[in-house]
Amino acid sequence: MVPFRYNVRSLFVRKVTTIATALGIALVVFVFAAALMLGEGVERALVSSSRPENVIVLRKGSDAELSSSMSQDVLGLLRGNSAVAQGEGGGVIGEVILVITAELEGKGESQISNVLIRGMPAEGMKFRPEARIVSGRAPQPGTNEVIVGKAIAGRFKGVSEGGTFELRRNRPLKVVGTFAADGTSFESEVWGDLDVIRTSVGRQASVSSARVRLNSPADFETYRTTMEADKRANVKVQREADYYSKQSEQTSGFLVGLGTVVAILFSLAAMIGAAITMNGAVAHRTKEIGTLRALGFSRIAILVSFVLEALLLALIGGVVGLAFVQLLALVSFPVMNFQTFSEIVIAFKATPNVLISALVFSLVMGLVGGLVPAIRAARVSPVEAMRG
Amino acid sequence: MAEATSIVTLKGINKTFHRGKEPITVLESLDLDVPTGSFEALMGPSGSGKSTLLNIIAGLDRPTSGEVKVAGANLAAMSDSQLAKWRSQNIGFVFQSFNLIPVLTAAQNVELPLLLTSLSGSERTKRVQTALRVVGLEDRMHHYPRQLSGGQEQRVAIARAIVNDPKIIVADEPTGDLDRKSADDVLTLLDKLNKELGKTIFMVTHDPNAAEKASVQRKLDKGALQ
Repeated sequence: MVPFRYNVRSLFVRKVTTIATALGIALVVFVFAAALMLGEGVERALVSSSRPENVIVLRKGSDAELSSSMSQDVLGLLRGNSAVAQGEGGGVIGEVILVITAELEGKGESQISNVLIRGMPAEGMKFRPEARIVSGRAPQPGTNEVIVGKAIAGRFKGVSEGGTFELRRNRPLKVVGTFAADGTSFESEVWGDLDVIRTSVGRQASVSSARVRLNSPADFETYRTTMEADKRANVKVQREADYYSKQSEQTSGFLVGLGTVVAILFSLAAMIGAAITMNGAVAHRTKEIGTLRALGFSRIAILVSFVLEALLLALIGGVVGLAFVQLLALVSFPVMNFQTFSEIVIAFKATPNVLISALVFSLVMGLVGGLVPAIRAARVSPVEAMRG
Repeated sequence: MAEATSIVTLKGINKTFHRGKEPITVLESLDLDVPTGSFEALMGPSGSGKSTLLNIIAGLDRPTSGEVKVAGANLAAMSDSQLAKWRSQNIGFVFQSFNLIPVLTAAQNVELPLLLTSLSGSERTKRVQTALRVVGLEDRMHHYPRQLSGGQEQRVAIARAIVNDPKIIVADEPTGDLDRKSADDVLTLLDKLNKELGKTIFMVTHDPNAAEKASVQRKLDKGALQ
């Protein structure tokens, strides 16, 4: 085999073309990795780190908490099953979810967006172990005190610690703390007392959804069949994780799809760039290649050598692209959640999968771009060594 | 000259190139015998077919028709990959413009032919050192070609040509790009390889001084040996 250092140094000698080509590939890898990171960010935001024994109950026919409404009495039916866990963190809670419009901070009155308000009973926090107060304090049950998720804290007028905003005219809510919830979309919500919030909007005897903690994930099927068969309840029972992944599919699918299409279009240009660079390398080194062939290196050895060179070039680009894309981990921005029509804040999230996919993508670009020039190199006649 | 002592035997060699539709005959019914251990110089005007003949002897190119026997192998019947392997074991190349790989050091250039063998790394290093000692450049082994003079580059190339212990060294205008002094050094070295190590040397040259060093001088004109 032709020694690999031959390829490494050949790339190094042609610094300018190598850097230009690698940067082209880096740009594509950046876009591609950014799209994947966004997808991961959406999934992380929407797929709660819920426990497998958690179940969400909606009214039959509803796809989302926002469009669901059930009578308070249903909670009794949901509780009356031996599969429901008892004690600390167990049981059934009913919650009310509603969306209000609020003015964005510092953008004038014309700029408004939706904020999702969740009313929950006192034990609601215990259903979400990932949620914790990061500043301020927890609200007093039975009061108009609320806490705001850290992703939207300060984005809306009055919706930040120490502030006050109106749920309805003359129904103010007071923000007493900020909470974090492991990067999930809960961080884009406002949490307050169930009774205060539903009374304010005139929904006293109803809830939007219920959460049930079962004794074990294995009890789910039985529980679902029993509850969905109960005509009085008229509910749909889903695992919390399934519910959230269904919610995230639409949003993340759209963003990842868009990003991938852009990356593929860019990659065509990058592959042409890599092909031009490698073609130039082959043309420039015809005599060297002829010499290697004269010395006895086979066509295959030359082919492999130039493919490796192209792969190395692409890998340099890939690593540079990934290095830059790490900076995106510092960026987050609001997107519309199509299920709730309220804002959720998405952060770019790098996972091992993203890194591996992006590197493989860069190698594929190197292979595709480098193959034709490598075949050309393998075809160089050893007689070229003798030409003056 | 008996066949057993000939290292190169060509019989009825024809070589025709096609330029467009017109065939151009470069070599015509050429016969050649090179005895083992000789130092031959091939001279002739440009376009006389010297390089083509050298390429055929070195297994870089095949004749259109005719028999080519070099170092016991029938080259006309061998495939491209067989020829490549055969070259690596039997032929040492010296080129007019040295043809060192610019991104590799002297030692790494000399090592290239050994990478096609099964020798271990330490064995290769030993052989590279020996070859560079023969050409008097052991102290330049870590230099890159651009850090060497033309004469030194050609001597590194000669070290590369002998590192595999080939039977024949083919040299294409080995002094063509060198000043008189360096050219003399290179010719002295080739002479030493021929006399002391018993290498058969087949050299194409325009340079009468170079041709003088050879034990046999041949002239090629219009595709035929004079």
